[in-house]
Amino acid sequence: MEQKISEIIQRTTLRINAINSVKELNDLKVEVLGKSGELTLILRGLKDVNAQDRPIVGKIVNDARVELENAIEAKLGVLERKELNDKLMKEKIDITIDRKRPIGKLHPLNEIKRKAIDFFVCMGFIVTDSPEIETTYYNFDMLNIPPDHPAREPQDTFFVTDEIILRTQTSAGQIRTMEKIKPPIKMISPGRVFRSDEADATHTPCFHQMEGLVVDKGITMCDLKGTLSSFAKHFFAADTKIRFRPSHFPFTEPSVEVDVSCVHCGGKGCNVCKGTGWIEILGAGMVNRKVLSGCGIDPDIYTGFAFGVGLDRITAIIHGINDARVPFEGDIRFLKQF
Amino acid sequence: MKLPISWLNDFIETEASVDDICNALTGIGFEVEEVIKYGINISNVVVGKIIELMPHPDADKLKVCKVDIGNEVLTVITGADNVKVNDIVPVAKDGAVLPNGKTIKAAPLRGIMSYGMLCSGGELNINDAFVSGASVNGILILDGDLKIGEDIIKALKLDETVLDISITANRSDCHSIFGLAREIATSLKLNIKEPNFEFTLAANSEKIPSVKISTSECPVYSRSMISDIKIEESPKWMQRRLFMCDINPINNVVDITNYVLLEIGQPLHAFDRKIINGNIIVRNASVGEKITALNGEEYALSPYMTLICDEEKPLAIAGVMGGKFSGITNDTKTVFLESARFNRGNIRNTSLKLGLRSDSSKKFERGVDYYSVEFGRRRALALFEQLGVGKVVYDCPIDERPIKSIKTSTSQINALLGIVIPKKDIISILETLGMKVEVDKNELNVSIPAYREDIDNYTDLAEEVIRFYGYDKMNETFMPTSSVTIGGLTYRQKHIEDIKDMLCAYGAYEIMTYSFTDEKVYDKLCLLENDRRRSAIKIRNPISEDLSIMKTELVSGMLSVIATNLTRRNDNFRLFELAKVYEAELPVKDLPNERDTLCVSLVGGKEDFYEIKSIFTGILDNFKIAYTIKSSNEPYLHPGISADLYVGDKLIASFGKLHPSVCKNFGIKKSDIFIGQMHCEIITEQKETVVKYKPLPKFPSVERDLAIIVNESITIGDIVDAIKKSDKIIENVELFDIYRGEQIEKGYKSVALKIKLVPVDKTLIDSEIADIMGKVLSALKNKFDARVRE
Repeated sequence: MEQKISEIIQRTTLRINAINSVKELNDLKVEVLGKSGELTLILRGLKDVNAQDRPIVGKIVNDARVELENAIEAKLGVLERKELNDKLMKEKIDITIDRKRPIGKLHPLNEIKRKAIDFFVCMGFIVTDSPEIETTYYNFDMLNIPPDHPAREPQDTFFVTDEIILRTQTSAGQIRTMEKIKPPIKMISPGRVFRSDEADATHTPCFHQMEGLVVDKGITMCDLKGTLSSFAKHFFAADTKIRFRPSHFPFTEPSVEVDVSCVHCGGKGCNVCKGTGWIEILGAGMVNRKVLSGCGIDPDIYTGFAFGVGLDRITAIIHGINDARVPFEGDIRFLKQF
Repeated sequence: MKLPISWLNDFIETEASVDDICNALTGIGFEVEEVIKYGINISNVVVGKIIELMPHPDADKLKVCKVDIGNEVLTVITGADNVKVNDIVPVAKDGAVLPNGKTIKAAPLRGIMSYGMLCSGGELNINDAFVSGASVNGILILDGDLKIGEDIIKALKLDETVLDISITANRSDCHSIFGLAREIATSLKLNIKEPNFEFTLAANSEKIPSVKISTSECPVYSRSMISDIKIEESPKWMQRRLFMCDINPINNVVDITNYVLLEIGQPLHAFDRKIINGNIIVRNASVGEKITALNGEEYALSPYMTLICDEEKPLAIAGVMGGKFSGITNDTKTVFLESARFNRGNIRNTSLKLGLRSDSSKKFERGVDYYSVEFGRRRALALFEQLGVGKVVYDCPIDERPIKSIKTSTSQINALLGIVIPKKDIISILETLGMKVEVDKNELNVSIPAYREDIDNYTDLAEEVIRFYGYDKMNETFMPTSSVTIGGLTYRQKHIEDIKDMLCAYGAYEIMTYSFTDEKVYDKLCLLENDRRRSAIKIRNPISEDLSIMKTELVSGMLSVIATNLTRRNDNFRLFELAKVYEAELPVKDLPNERDTLCVSLVGGKEDFYEIKSIFTGILDNFKIAYTIKSSNEPYLHPGISADLYVGDKLIASFGKLHPSVCKNFGIKKSDIFIGQMHCEIITEQKETVVKYKPLPKFPSVERDLAIIVNESITIGDIVDAIKKSDKIIENVELFDIYRGEQIEKGYKSVALKIKLVPVDKTLIDSEIADIMGKVLSALKNKFDARVRE
């Protein structure tokens, strides 16, 4: 009996191995394990075995059945995977064909603006808005720019009326902020400004600035340097250095122009920095006492610093854009480059 | 401001190189814009003497010269006809290089070898003011006493360096050679030598006109008089200095006034004494008054303008230009010299209004001070005497002015700067700048010289100190004393950025255009005559007509960008712009309303109305803003393929296919342009709301398809609305097909919809579903006479 069963296992295993389709395998299963299958018949014949041997023989038959079932299951798994794989391979497509759903892009200048805002917001600065069409009061008077100052000349400023102009600087936003909130103030104000310059490779009649202002007790010029130095490192590269050069703005005293070590050559000198190793990026200084007191802030208690960055300029520096007019043209080939 | 190094050397003695001086200037806040070098790019040009001059045998116009250049005699062919034997001339030898880059080579000219070239002034890049005779059309004939064979640069002292320096608006005192010398001396820690201000007064026989000032625009007017004037050319060194500073030499008297303007920064005016009738009156112009200026032009004056007059006529427009007949001529015997101060704004307005600028008016606009008024006049008198132009017969110094003083302390200065600068450094810097410093422990009492009107309080002194102490010595700190502040964007700013991000996700690229445009765009957009958008804010002084009004819409700018792209053969793109439009009641009295506005355009074959609609409605859906859609009357849109989007009864957006006429007006050749504009307040002014979670439905939803036949005129929107209204259990209705054609009679369409039922409290059974569908059908039948498609 045992020999017969082991022969069945052997024979059936050989057949399982040879089978190549799920259907054949299922047929075999029925043939061997089905109602009238070989093993089933043996099991049924157990009643003829004497009672003493019956459990032993029964176990042998059952073990054989389990063994064969497992073998069939295993083979079935193999065959199903193969058949599925064959079926999938018939569905193979040409993956080199494109169907594009492009994701658009912000204008490069606004990407730069976001990056700048990110830095200052993380440092505790609020972001304020102020009008693009502004009064001479906010744009000039309150910034200590007297009525006879050349900056007010119509060749620099677009006038709507005697008192209403297109703002020439985001600094007007400083005043509006200081009128609304009292120290401690940490704010930036990015926005569009206007100067009556004919468009050429380095000028456009509208462009963008970002104003910054800090007013609090004990603010020093070293704080200005530290803040701008961190900004430059965030903005350009971790090893960027900054340099202060004395300058003059009516609304700050002392005033400085701020240079960063050239982002293209690292300060060795190249055609971008005209061989100097430095690129001018912004103007800054300690808020003029007259400006503070004009806004109702006591300059004997509070000091502060302010700065104004040309966003178009730093965008141009970072991306190497050598014509200020191109970013305003909206040529899709330009926009897609970034 | 031009600064010739040779002139600077009158006041400081230094071995410093030009680079050192440039660095010093940069370090203290004066940008060197250009270093101009004369006499460079000249090599192998020497002084020569013509010892023989013969006609060229084979050329009428050429001459063969033998030129002695010291160690040899060269044969040189020249075409010039202004040379003769014994003339001293510049000779470019074989291999010489000239400023225009030309190299001179020995070569035969009509059969005779020429071993060099005789040079003109032009070929050496110099003119009469630089070397006399250099402007002559021909060879430059040099002084007889020059050394034969000497290098021309050395012989003529051609190696001049001039720095072109930009001066910040607060430093009018540095629009002068001496003012800059003072700064450079402080920076390089050198002593400064004053110019010569000394002269002797000669006996006077003529009456000196007195001065009456009847305007507030002239705070001081000082005068002096020089007699026995001999008008001639000024000396070459003076002419050369004027020339290097872009002033043309005229005669000795005028040149002295210009020289002082450059050196001390004081504009002077020299009148011919004999045309002054009686006394000088400084007054405002009368209504309708006119004057003919030195340039021969007649100017109609306004009453705010200041005039220098005698008792019967105006002599000069104060600070701007002299009158035609009051100037210096060859017959001038006595000079009345004015050194005055006029208010900056007044000169600026006058000069602007008349369109008349002079070196004098430019300086007055920048500002003069009491130092320059006094010392400028004295310097001129010293020069009149030194150059023997005339005898100083009258001079009257100005009244002493109170000296401004500022009380501060070293700690106050250091507290602003953030570093500790030693007291001795602070004091020494201020003193070398000409300030007097009284010290009491840490307290400083600083007297400010008259030429530093820009210094007003301790922060100005702090700036002077750090300028010379060096910004590089400053530390980097991060506001250790400041309070905690919470940074961030406002909701408006966040929402603007959110909208932009959504547009990017829709595949649109952001553009940026100017805020101004041309009035003509409204006709191009076919706007009606009474359209509010035509009331744009006008710029009073635009650059040009096409940039003359502030935008009231963004569509025209977008269309121009589309046109540009299409002309450049860029096709298939989506663009957006989010910018301000400006609305105001005209004439403008108050600041206008600046509205955040979005414009979107879709260009390309695969775009259609529903794409642009999905963008605008998608944005509103994202912000959970409910809206309604109506047909649009926007004139620039296709009347059948356009929609208005309302929130409540407020129109906030219009979009659709661009009207073919507008396409044409903007030079757009494609027809499938979809465009729309939305005002963003509805989003930007939205308050932040916190979403409260609703439990998800527990019971399975059911979907049923429905196909109905309705009249063509019935809109899908109305059908969907009606279905939704028929039972609140209906959560969503989705169109999946519209069919026209066979089996459907003309004028009708078959509409297939998927209806989703979401039960709240139980699982729906078939009979309930059938009831709801029955309600739907009867609603559709009643409203639209719809019938089920079998």
